[in-house]
Amino acid sequence: MTNHWIDIKNSDCILIMGSNAAENHPISFKYVTKAMEKGAKLISVDPRFTRTSSKADIYAPLRSGTDIAFLGGMIKYLLDNKLYNKEYTAAYTNAPFIVGKAFEFKDGLFSGYKKNEEGPSLGSYDKSKWAFEMDEKGIPKMDRTLKNKRSVFQLLKAHYSRYDLDKVSKVTGTPKQDLLKVYKTFAATGATGKAGTIMYAMGWTQHTVGTQIIRAMAMIQLLLGNMGVAGGGVNALRGESNVQGSTDHCLLWHIWPGYLKTPRASNTSLDTYNAKWTPRTNDPLSANWWGNYPKYSVSMLKSFFGENARKSNQFGYNWLPKVDDGKAYSWFDIFDAMYKGDVKGFFAWGQNPACSGSNAAKVRKAMENLDWMVNVNIFDNETGSFWKGPGKDPSKIRTEVFMLPAAVSVEKEGSITNSGRWMQWRYQGPKPLGNSRPDGDIIMELGRLLKKEYKTSGGVFQDPILNLKWDYETNGAYDPHKAAKEVNGYFTKDVKVKGKLCKKGTLVPSFAWLQADGSTSSGNWLYCNSYTEKGNMSARRSKKDAPNNIGLYPEFAWCWPVNRRIIYNRASVDPKGRPWDKKDWVIKFAGDQKDGKYVSKKWIGDVPDGGWYPLENPDGSKRKDSKYPFIMRKHGHAQIFGPGRTDGPFPEHYEPLESPVEKNFFSSQRINPAAVVYTTKLDVYATCDPRFPFVGTTYRVSEHWQTGVMTRPQAWLMEMQPDMFVEMSKDLAKLRGIKNGERVNVTSARGTVECTAIVTKRFKPFSVGYATVHQVGVPWHYGWRWPATGKEESANLLTPPAGDPNTRIPETKAFMVNVTKL
Amino acid sequence: MKLNRRDFIKISGAAAAGVAVSGLGFDLKPVKSHAGMLKTRYAKESITICCYCAVGCGAIVHTSKRGDGRVMNVEGDPDHVINQGSLCSKGSAIKQLAENENRLTEPMYRAPYSDKWQTVSWDWALNTIANRVKKTRDMNFEKTNAKGQTVNRTTSIASVGSAALDNEECWIYQTLMRSLGLVYIEHQARI
Amino acid sequence: MSKSIFIDTTICTGCRGCQVACKQWHDLPAEKTKNMGSFQNPQDLSFKTYKLVRMNEEIINGRLEWLFFPDQCRHCIDAPCLETAFDENAIYRDTQTGAVIYTKVTRNLDADEIIGSCPYNIPRKAQDNTLAKCDLCSDRVHNGLKPACVTVCPSGAMQFGDRDRILSIAKKRLGKVKQKFSKAMLLNPEDVNVIYLVGFDPKLYADYAVASSDRGGLSRSVALRKMMGPFTRMMRV
Repeated sequence: MTNHWIDIKNSDCILIMGSNAAENHPISFKYVTKAMEKGAKLISVDPRFTRTSSKADIYAPLRSGTDIAFLGGMIKYLLDNKLYNKEYTAAYTNAPFIVGKAFEFKDGLFSGYKKNEEGPSLGSYDKSKWAFEMDEKGIPKMDRTLKNKRSVFQLLKAHYSRYDLDKVSKVTGTPKQDLLKVYKTFAATGATGKAGTIMYAMGWTQHTVGTQIIRAMAMIQLLLGNMGVAGGGVNALRGESNVQGSTDHCLLWHIWPGYLKTPRASNTSLDTYNAKWTPRTNDPLSANWWGNYPKYSVSMLKSFFGENARKSNQFGYNWLPKVDDGKAYSWFDIFDAMYKGDVKGFFAWGQNPACSGSNAAKVRKAMENLDWMVNVNIFDNETGSFWKGPGKDPSKIRTEVFMLPAAVSVEKEGSITNSGRWMQWRYQGPKPLGNSRPDGDIIMELGRLLKKEYKTSGGVFQDPILNLKWDYETNGAYDPHKAAKEVNGYFTKDVKVKGKLCKKGTLVPSFAWLQADGSTSSGNWLYCNSYTEKGNMSARRSKKDAPNNIGLYPEFAWCWPVNRRIIYNRASVDPKGRPWDKKDWVIKFAGDQKDGKYVSKKWIGDVPDGGWYPLENPDGSKRKDSKYPFIMRKHGHAQIFGPGRTDGPFPEHYEPLESPVEKNFFSSQRINPAAVVYTTKLDVYATCDPRFPFVGTTYRVSEHWQTGVMTRPQAWLMEMQPDMFVEMSKDLAKLRGIKNGERVNVTSARGTVECTAIVTKRFKPFSVGYATVHQVGVPWHYGWRWPATGKEESANLLTPPAGDPNTRIPETKAFMVNVTKL
Repeated sequence: MKLNRRDFIKISGAAAAGVAVSGLGFDLKPVKSHAGMLKTRYAKESITICCYCAVGCGAIVHTSKRGDGRVMNVEGDPDHVINQGSLCSKGSAIKQLAENENRLTEPMYRAPYSDKWQTVSWDWALNTIANRVKKTRDMNFEKTNAKGQTVNRTTSIASVGSAALDNEECWIYQTLMRSLGLVYIEHQARI
Repeated sequence: MSKSIFIDTTICTGCRGCQVACKQWHDLPAEKTKNMGSFQNPQDLSFKTYKLVRMNEEIINGRLEWLFFPDQCRHCIDAPCLETAFDENAIYRDTQTGAVIYTKVTRNLDADEIIGSCPYNIPRKAQDNTLAKCDLCSDRVHNGLKPACVTVCPSGAMQFGDRDRILSIAKKRLGKVKQKFSKAMLLNPEDVNVIYLVGFDPKLYADYAVASSDRGGLSRSVALRKMMGPFTRMMRV
């Protein structure tokens, strides 16, 4: 979330699309309701009428996988009716930038496209074709009047001119009057002082166009001036209690803690690595915050290897693994390699891929090729016990499995980070049950044993293991405080920074103090400031709010970066530093002025995105010592045109890999030409195939969670949602002769899952093109291990082997199925 | 740990001690006072953050100070600024997550081609795992790739997980995996 | 001053936090259920389920509405069950909170008669005829806490406090809600301590959302006893 949970109350219009907050983030409705009590409108866009829709002022149905068409239509509506916030768009976004002549878009393809012969990626773009035109100083050329034909703004207009209501309605199945109602209501937040917010989740990410759906919405938020303001922002409702923290600490192949890049093989030294990933700008008004990259990477290496990381050994840079240039090592790729027999050992730590992985039958088959698996969990689950799952013959499966019992969260101490980026400390209640252990203790002990093993009997390339700093314990037990302090970082020698003497061994106050010379450590620069000499900031509990009561609660817990509760908040003020919204302001400039000029620097409110002077003085003269508000972007401007994405600088509608539509109404490209599609004999798919005539989607219910490992063994939750089910319209039930409550089979090209039919008014057929399209939905919480009948299985046995080209997140939100009586 | 005072709605001064009045936990109408003792009266209070979705709701855990030292009650923390005491159905069921007969309480091992689990000691389990990791890693370690570039990695071991770990655990876990040379490191955020 | 709960169904999201919080606080076991083609489960209140969110899908004025109704004992001001039982060891009113409380002695009563006397069809019996229902979390309330279901409610659909205050909140809220739901109403606000606000015809939410004339109330003998007033009841105690 760019903003945070409480901030939703400040919104004037809440769009919930690609999520179902009332069911899956129920407490968010405290703030949705608060906003509505003050007059805010709630819009729910979903293929199915949900508990969220039940509270909405406007409900609009859409066919799964057509969100870009829906949002593209909104962009056109905003532009055609001049409802965008021109002042904001021209000042803070790259709408004025001039795009080079090489950029073009023709019939669904951007310039620079090349088909891929090998896969799994269907094709790729030469992104240099989308570059901005630069002036003689190397600064992008701009036209702040937005009139230049090659400006981003004019290209945007041209691109979405094709997204007229008729066509959008024909694709999405959303009635035209519903589209208009949504567009009109959300567009009203473009007025200065008004704020609209978006709450989205996996309903947007799990598509072959997932990243671009979110970009489309971010573009709308920029056009309406909704970024950085209270009650605005782009808010991803993250699904797990610490998936924000685990992402920040980068349990992901492509990034190192703090969103640093995993080094490529071509980054042969620390210097080449830093040079490659440190962006540069020639614009004195661009803060280009990532220009600090080497300070963060070197400090991270110091945390990894402590005193063993020295300038002479590049701080241990070459001890860490490199990935091949141009190759992906994502979730999908892991199981593809495992299926092909290339992965021998496997840790499934607090995770249940046998139910959570798309095309789960392939995942389960792949596990048979492992020599060993370590599964750490609270309960037995479909992954650890895969060898005795449905259709498996244990006597033919070689894999050794170690199942380690973990403590539950209330039995241990440490912090987690919520969706609003708040890091919160939690404490131990009871001791771990039986012989279960906190994950931290298991990790520490495993590390200790490995270090011992390599030290005593030697082995291949031992340096990183032997040199790894591994002292996060007190009296032989894992100590979360020691790890938290290392994540924050220390001064590793006495140094003078900003005129202040910092003693060796003291905690670094914030990332502005980090250095690239080895004099500081910080396991994750984004968390530098979370545990300082002032104490554990995440444990704070003050209920004091911001002066205008917008719910910042700056001394309750701690949030990254540097406790900034609303990021991009310098876009919440005009170029003179005055808030767009006089009442629910986030920050304002409070420096002294003299003769129409600011003469002293002071911001009040939230921690500003950099404390520079505003862009302009009160008399309108431009200041040279200011910075543009979007400090993480190389050019300081938010990106309406996004030349960094793998699949195009503007979002474009493509059909899902499996869809009921033979021809994309927008272009000759049926599916995303850069999508990732896997190709083993278990990676089958069927589009426009009469055997699978209905659109399928997956979702969650309030009473279960993820694959259900932490809810299915619980009687109270099972009581409310006992069985795997499929929801369908009355029309579809009639067509198939299915009665409410009856057991049915749901089948895709990849598998069959038995479900109880919920025949409901909440699903309705869509009118797509000139045809009627039925859609059904299944929750993905079930699996054979719990309940004990073994008949309630995972929805991911149905989901497809394809994903988004930017993230490789699977397309589990739109695929094709059949529904038949048992 | 310091806890703020609950946002009590006092109805009649100090709570009186008496017969427990809770559902069917008593036989007769208490004669003198209707006020009963809370079942959490002799419990240790600790605060936690809910382990389900990412709203980050605060909850109070009541752990018995008598007997088995187990969880008696988990309820929303009224002093938490986000949820102010609220919880959803999952959050309200946290007690049953901790106090659950289905929980794993001992390390278990499944041998090749076996059709059953066997209980093993932590010592044996972790030593054996360390041994397997070392063997697989050392046999398949790539110092250079096909182009001859230094890569110092192994693709023979993969790790998934976990958003269920605390921040500090995530961080030390990834240092261990990366120092072993793993590049197949993924978790819930990818799916 | 008795205590009341106000339940504004127009902002209830059906998350069912209340349903579980009730079981959690009271240590009530789960029931074995089956998906019957709806999210609602269990299907009804029971000896083990004091609070149940009823769910109904209705087309009203051409618009689909998913109606949620967190059903529970209303703790009636004049409680027919209490009068019918006529045994304060079995069913009594907690004078400080106004809660109607059932004890284990209810097993000596005619369970069906008590259930039949309830205009809202709330009490449920165990195999041994002991009766159970919501106790307004009497132990919590006496110790300055809100009932578990109210504490847990995310949207603010449930509020708890002194009856006067709650009744005035309910009436004020009705005025506001009527701007959006013209047929909104409070259900028997003068007769009960658990006051519901609904946006539509109460029959669409639950069969016994409002006091039913075809059931409940007092039998002749009970009515007679009641007329005779406190003296008779004193004799009984």
